[in-house]
This record gives sequence, structure tokens and C-alpha cells, in this order.
Amino acid sequence: MSVSFRAAQAKNKRKTFLLLFCMFVFVVLAIWAVSQLVGYGSVWVVPIAVALALAGVWASYWSSDKIVMKMTNAKVIDHATAPQLFNVVDEVRIAAGLPMPTVAIVDDPAPNAFATGRNPEHAVIAFTTGLLATMDREQLQGVTAHEMAHVGNRDTLVMAVAATTAGLIAIIADIGIRMSFFTRRDNNNPIAAIAGIVILLLAPIAALLMRSAVSRKRESLADATAVQFTRNPAGLRRALETLAADSTVVHERSNAVSHVWIESPLEGKSKSLFDTHPPITERIEILRAMEQSGPTPT
Amino acid sequence: MLIVGIVIVLIVLLVIVALWQFNKLRRLNVNVEEGYAQIEVQLARRSDLIPNLVETVKGYAKHEREVLEAVTNARAHVQEAQGVGQTAAADAQLTSALNGLMIVAENYPDLKASTNFLQLQEELTTTENKIAFARQYYNESVRALNTAIVTFPSMLFVGMSGVTKHEFYEVPDASQRIAPNVGFN
Repeated sequence: MSVSFRAAQAKNKRKTFLLLFCMFVFVVLAIWAVSQLVGYGSVWVVPIAVALALAGVWASYWSSDKIVMKMTNAKVIDHATAPQLFNVVDEVRIAAGLPMPTVAIVDDPAPNAFATGRNPEHAVIAFTTGLLATMDREQLQGVTAHEMAHVGNRDTLVMAVAATTAGLIAIIADIGIRMSFFTRRDNNNPIAAIAGIVILLLAPIAALLMRSAVSRKRESLADATAVQFTRNPAGLRRALETLAADSTVVHERSNAVSHVWIESPLEGKSKSLFDTHPPITERIEILRAMEQSGPTPT
Repeated sequence: MLIVGIVIVLIVLLVIVALWQFNKLRRLNVNVEEGYAQIEVQLARRSDLIPNLVETVKGYAKHEREVLEAVTNARAHVQEAQGVGQTAAADAQLTSALNGLMIVAENYPDLKASTNFLQLQEELTTTENKIAFARQYYNESVRALNTAIVTFPSMLFVGMSGVTKHEFYEVPDASQRIAPNVGFN
């Protein structure tokens, strides 16, 4: 089976759109469920709580570059301090047609890398000392291409939207359930009321599942876009093989930033629907299929 | 009354589509110009590196006059070239000359070990990669623009936006298609 990076990109973008649309539909469903239980009159509390949550998510999105750098203790480098790394990033950003991001190094023996920042003009890409020690120039170029792909595809923004929507669903569900203990709509439709409760109970889990699915699609898209940049699937594939073989985990693995790393520090060997990344063996197979398609397939 | 309403809505839609396609063509055109400028920036960078490289190699291998001259001459051709076609041809010639120089440098262990040479080698490797990527980005931009010019609905607004098709940056000789491997690590 031959795979082209353009087909992979198109597929992942379609799925992202579909998932975000489903999440939006879920928001509407959650609001409906609340109205069935509690009545439209009391729903005014929801927008206030939602606005506060929104403000939180978007503030962290806006300052994502500073926040993540602080949490990981990343040190900025320039051409004088790390010439080869700086050159590799410069090469990839030219292929991507993007401005030069801030490049930083995280002191950690576990090989890993991340990209963050609210837009390409404020992007930060960081690599652990562990990764720089174990990878050659071709693998480093592959990893850099994957991270620049996140920057180019505006994944910090996409994940902020997904997180906000998921948060919104969870908040509406939470408020809805709480309010239904105090006020109850005079409803001659008990089935709608039961449906409302079921939806609200399941909503937070469903939201998390959809958000995890969005994250996985964006990771697959980043792999395909990385190939668009370098036209060399082998570089990223070999880098992922090295990461798969290595069992050490980065120190900064709190939930807040676990999703930004190229290899998730939290997930184990078994596949789960809550995973933020597709299984690493699957990613390697897809890249291998692209290698076999030959140079520049349409 | 209804007919007038429908006509107004259609006119508004038409204006919106026209603006959208006009801007799209203009934006794609700017990407192409930016792409070409980036190629020139990287070619200039390489040009600047070369005198230093030639001097360093001469310090250890003064008898290799032919190879050094080939590089200096090829560099001059790139600086004189005008337009995409000429630049591509001159660029290919210089890449070939530099390859020749790096192969010769293999025979001089003192040269290969000098820090100055190693730094220059990394800079040369990265510049060759950047030239290749700049060409790739330029070609992608040209692809997007040329496609928009011949497909519907953007093709209807080509005259209005004043954009034209551009040439791809093609490597003239098949043997030059392999990127030079100037890294010895």
C-alpha cells in the first residue's frame, strides 16, 4: 500500500474538522439537556461560568510560549551557542516558509522535543539534551520538521479550541446536574428529562475522548506535514524508532504539558482512546509506507 | 419586490467571492516572490562562504589549483546570472565545483582536522540544504499559484488581480539532481 503525505494531510484535516464539529454539536446537546432538566430560565448561570473557564484557557494559550518554557526550564540558544541545531531549525523553517522560531534546549536525559506558542511569529521549539545526544543530523531534521509542522498547522490554537470546547461541555454538564437537584422543570416529558441526565453524566468523558481524538489526528497530521517539508520520511521514521526503543521519560510530565511532547511521557505501551498520540509503531509504519511510495508522490 | 431582493443578494455574494479570489491570487503571488527572494538570500550566503573556504583549502593544498579555480569561476557565474533559468544553471555548476573541491579535500588529513574547515563544512552543508529547501518552497508556491490561475473560480479573476504564471526552478542537468553530500560525518 503506497501512501502519499498529501493524502495523509487531507485525511487528518478532514477528521479534525469532523471531530471539532461533533464537539460543538455536543455543546448544543448539553445545553438542551440542561434546559430539559432545569428550564431555560435558570440557564443564565452557565454563560458566566463558561466565560471564566474560557478566559483561563485562552490566557494560557496566549502566553503558551512563556508558560511552557518556564515549566520545562528551557534555555534559549542562538547560532553561536549551538550552531548545528540552529542551522537544522533554520533549514526546516525555510522549507516550511515560516519565520525562524525561538530555539531552546531542556536539560533532561530522556530524548524528547516540543513546540508551542500562540502563532508562528511567537513559536518556540525545544529539544532535550537527551535527544541531541542520541540523534544524528537526519533524525534531528525529522524531529524538527514534526515540531515546525505543529507551528505551521497552528496546533496550539487548535488544541486550545478543543480544550475550551471540552471544558465548556464539562462545565455545562456539571452545572446542569447540580442545578437539577434544586430546581426541576415542570415537564410532562420524563423521557426527555432522563435523556438529559444521561447526556450530562456521560458528557465530560465524551468530551475528553473527542479532545484526545483531535490530539491524535493533529499528531498524525504533523507527521505527514513533516514529510512535506523534508521530502525525507526516513529521517522522522528513524527518530521515532530511536524514541520507541528508549524507555526513559522526561521529568516535566504533568498533565498540563504532557500533550506537547513528540513522544507522550504519560502513556504506556497499551493503546487507549484517551491517548494524545497515536501508537508509535503505527506512526513508524505510516512513514515507512511513504518511503516506499518513492520521491515526491502527488 | 422579491426579484429585487434576490438580485441584491446575488450581487453581494458575487462581490464577496470576487474579493476573496482576488486576495487569494494576490497572496499566492506574494508567496512566490518571497520564495524566490529566499533562494537569492541563500545563494548569496553560499557566495560569501566561498572565498573563506578557498583560502582555507589553499593553506593546506596549494597545488590543487584547477579545482580551486573551478569553484571561483562558478561563483562568479552565479553572481552574474539573471532570472530563474540562468540562476538555476549557474547554481548547478557551482554545486558540482564545490563537490569536486570537497572530494579533493579528502586527501588532506590536516585540512580535514582543522576546526576552521570543520566549521566551514557545517556552514556549507547547511547552506546547500537551505538552497534545496528554498527551491522546494519556491516550487510549491509556484505550484499553488499556477494551479489557482487555471482552476475555477479563481481563474475568472486573474485579469483583475494582475498575476501571471511563474516558472518552476528546475535543475537543468539530470546528474545534478542528487544533492551534494558535503558532510563527512
